[in-house]
Amino acid sequence: MSLRSYIVARVLLTIPMILLLLTMVFLIIRVMPGDPADLHFEKRVDPEILAEFKHRLGLDKPLPVQYVDYLAGLLSGNLGSSMQDFSPVGQQIFSAFPATLELAIYSAAFAIIVGVLLGVRASRSYNSIPDHSIRMFGIVSYAIPVFFLGEVLIIVFGIYLGWFPTGLRFNPRIEAPQGLQLGGWRLATGLYTVDSLLEGSLTKFAESLRYLSLPVLALGTVLCGIFIRMTRSNMLETLRLDFVTSARARGIKERAVVYAYALRNAFLPILTMMGLQFAALLAGAVLTETTFSWPGLGRYLVTRITFRDYTAIQGAVVFYGVIVALVSLVVDILYAYLDPRIRF
Amino acid sequence: MKNRSAVSNTIASALVVVMIIAGVGGYYLGSQGVAPAATTVTQVAATTLFQTVTITTQMPTVTTVTTKTAVTTAPTVTITTTTGPKLKDTLVMGTTDSVETNLDPAEAYDFFGWEIILNTGATLVDIAPGTPYGAGLKDIKPALATDWTTSADGKTYTFNLRQGVKFYNGREFTADDVKYSIDRGITLAMEDGAYVGIGYSDIIDSVEVTGKYQVVFHLKIPFSPFLNLMACQASYIVNKDIATMAGTVNYTAGDARISNPNDLGPYVLTSWSRVAGKDDEMRLDANPNYWAKGAGFPLTPHVIIKFYADATSLGLAVRAGDVDIAFRQLLASDIESMKTDPSVKVWVGTGAFIQYMLFQENIPPFDNPKVRQAISSALDRQEMVDTVFMGQAQPLYSIIPKGMLGHTDKFKEVDKNPTKAISLLKEAGYDQTNKLKIEMWYESSGHYPQSPDQAAVWKAQLERTGVIEVTLKGADWPSYKKNRDTEIMPVYSYGWYPDYVDPDDYVFLYWATWIHHNYENPEAVALYNEARATSDTAKRTQLYAQVDDMMVRDCPNVPLYQAGAFAVTSPKVDGVVLDIAQLWRIWLLYAVES
Repeated sequence: MSLRSYIVARVLLTIPMILLLLTMVFLIIRVMPGDPADLHFEKRVDPEILAEFKHRLGLDKPLPVQYVDYLAGLLSGNLGSSMQDFSPVGQQIFSAFPATLELAIYSAAFAIIVGVLLGVRASRSYNSIPDHSIRMFGIVSYAIPVFFLGEVLIIVFGIYLGWFPTGLRFNPRIEAPQGLQLGGWRLATGLYTVDSLLEGSLTKFAESLRYLSLPVLALGTVLCGIFIRMTRSNMLETLRLDFVTSARARGIKERAVVYAYALRNAFLPILTMMGLQFAALLAGAVLTETTFSWPGLGRYLVTRITFRDYTAIQGAVVFYGVIVALVSLVVDILYAYLDPRIRF
Repeated sequence: MKNRSAVSNTIASALVVVMIIAGVGGYYLGSQGVAPAATTVTQVAATTLFQTVTITTQMPTVTTVTTKTAVTTAPTVTITTTTGPKLKDTLVMGTTDSVETNLDPAEAYDFFGWEIILNTGATLVDIAPGTPYGAGLKDIKPALATDWTTSADGKTYTFNLRQGVKFYNGREFTADDVKYSIDRGITLAMEDGAYVGIGYSDIIDSVEVTGKYQVVFHLKIPFSPFLNLMACQASYIVNKDIATMAGTVNYTAGDARISNPNDLGPYVLTSWSRVAGKDDEMRLDANPNYWAKGAGFPLTPHVIIKFYADATSLGLAVRAGDVDIAFRQLLASDIESMKTDPSVKVWVGTGAFIQYMLFQENIPPFDNPKVRQAISSALDRQEMVDTVFMGQAQPLYSIIPKGMLGHTDKFKEVDKNPTKAISLLKEAGYDQTNKLKIEMWYESSGHYPQSPDQAAVWKAQLERTGVIEVTLKGADWPSYKKNRDTEIMPVYSYGWYPDYVDPDDYVFLYWATWIHHNYENPEAVALYNEARATSDTAKRTQLYAQVDDMMVRDCPNVPLYQAGAFAVTSPKVDGVVLDIAQLWRIWLLYAVES
């Protein structure tokens, strides 16, 4: 199979996967006790009024009809309206996604760079004190819950030292980065670090980084443990292989041997892990966003579950599903690039 | 190679050091707290005929003026800021709340939505800041109405309106706007809104415009808390250029002006961003057309509101100085520890939120009043309040909270008396060998404050009698509510904060059908309706006391505690008023520029 037909097949396979995910979520949230109409009424409510309200939300229709309606909407690109505040779910998701994406990009970069560098370092001093320390750090950081680490970081760096803000995405006293503005035309990515640079404001860029620091440190640290372990064990195996010995024998610099030869070979399983960890990254982002009041998709999902906002939960989960599917597709394609022997 | 190795080593060391500092620091701070010397401010409100409301004890110079109004003896508070040091231009406030539906008085029915309506809108009458009662006529002060009269039968209210008041867009406010706002709320009849919830159409027959500046309300029934109803945010006057009869005004991304139909108040909502259906930032700027701006309000021209994910994050933010003010929700333990933190100021006031325990009368033996009385008697409300809320709430012995007309301490008869509980249960057929087995439910997702902790204390107290065995069961809010409606919880707790600040909005909880505890008492309902129809305060007090007597006998639901109200601010912030009216008046807040 050529790479092209592989990609086409993978994309087509994504459709039943998303459909299955959607059906499961559709059913599970409806099995959970409590319904979105009822939750609008904390206080007194007449049964007739509740019935009218259910009608307004379309909850009076039989389940299969609701399901087909939703799918039909989805096919036309409409994720429906929130059952809590009635605004379009698609709009809500896209308003939250840049925050999550920015957090995810920086955290993943932090986790991968720190994880791989430390993993390589540990493998090169096998069974020595640096190796043991790094392994220990890897285990601890992998085991520590992100919300706990986040809270500790806030107390130390936010309150005790006062270096970083305790939460939120940007300084409320400064206008948020607006991106590039040319006349009436505006280019903004929603990623504050990028938008502040587009705007040409280094102050805003520095402020964005300051607000990103603690959430990224928390989420990145928790995720880097797995990369340390993977890199270390793969590097240990690779460094023992003949081609490494022969490279050394040919007098190639050790740095080149380790990074250009061994690491590239050891990288394939690490790449697999990156793909798998992306789902963990999104899951971790849910908790990180809550801990740092980061206005992203994770916090959205958590809030909407408490409201039993069916359309919003379905929309967010489908969106997550598509993102994870896309990332795993990209990882598969990267395989071929890294290892020309791979055929699909 | 050496360099690379050094980089890796540095990173490894830095991370290990970070984690060690974080761990040790966290432990140290957690165990030590911070330095002593703090400020806890308790609201002071004198109760003389012309109340003096002490807003502050510090600079800037605050002049408190009491004025007699045409109809009532309500106080008017004027704060003059012409003397004294410069005030801060902008304050940042943090909260965990968020607007749930919209800011349209015709539909909004949540605490925070009402908070923004309060600060950006206006209505005919206001409740005086610092009110000790929240309900009596003397607490109602003129706002858009300058004075009013009530007919002898209590069914007609005539309001004379303030002249020259302008909406934000410059249009003059007249009697037509009052009629339009109230008629619109009743006509739109949003199912989840306050007009339907409170039942405006059951109370108001019609609104008649009798002059450009005079409006008459004709009521269907004599309704003693009518002025309180007019003061509540559902009765706020909307700008009809924004709020049409076509439907409610909802959030429009990027345009705060058309997202909020209220603009007669001290502030204008100039920016409102919601991310993923939850508020992210709001900006309130002083309203140039505000009718009371001559008195110096609002004291801080710009207020930015930021939204935090939970109480812990909000507590940390105010401690770190990221926000100047934190209001709702804060944890009792955080408040307690912040009382000794010199970097913040803790404000303590009276709250109107209450919780009560309910018995499902469709499930035996909870249909037996003796069993219900016994359970109530075995509870020690003071102990729960001290243990769970660290004294930041007060035990409640009547469904009407303390500080409000008609409050009694009658449930003290069935409190902290295990001996009575044992003997009542004996009469009902339970003893040490045949214990009363209770399945007690609590809300587990934080909808009510510290419910699991409360439940644990109740269980311990009940089991201390030796004749009761409690099984605790938790459910998150949506499930809990469903369980309530399907009537499967034998014993459970519920909470209430009022729509309008009057005992009328509490007493009916004893038998409210929507609570599904299946208690009926037509005699008590008759007394309640009688109290509703009279404006004679002494008579109302006496009628509510009679209801309480019946309820102590029947114990259909058992009042537990009344919450406190708290705000935490930077030490420079002043002007916080936390009274039983539970109104968060942002226009009174200020901070001295350092």
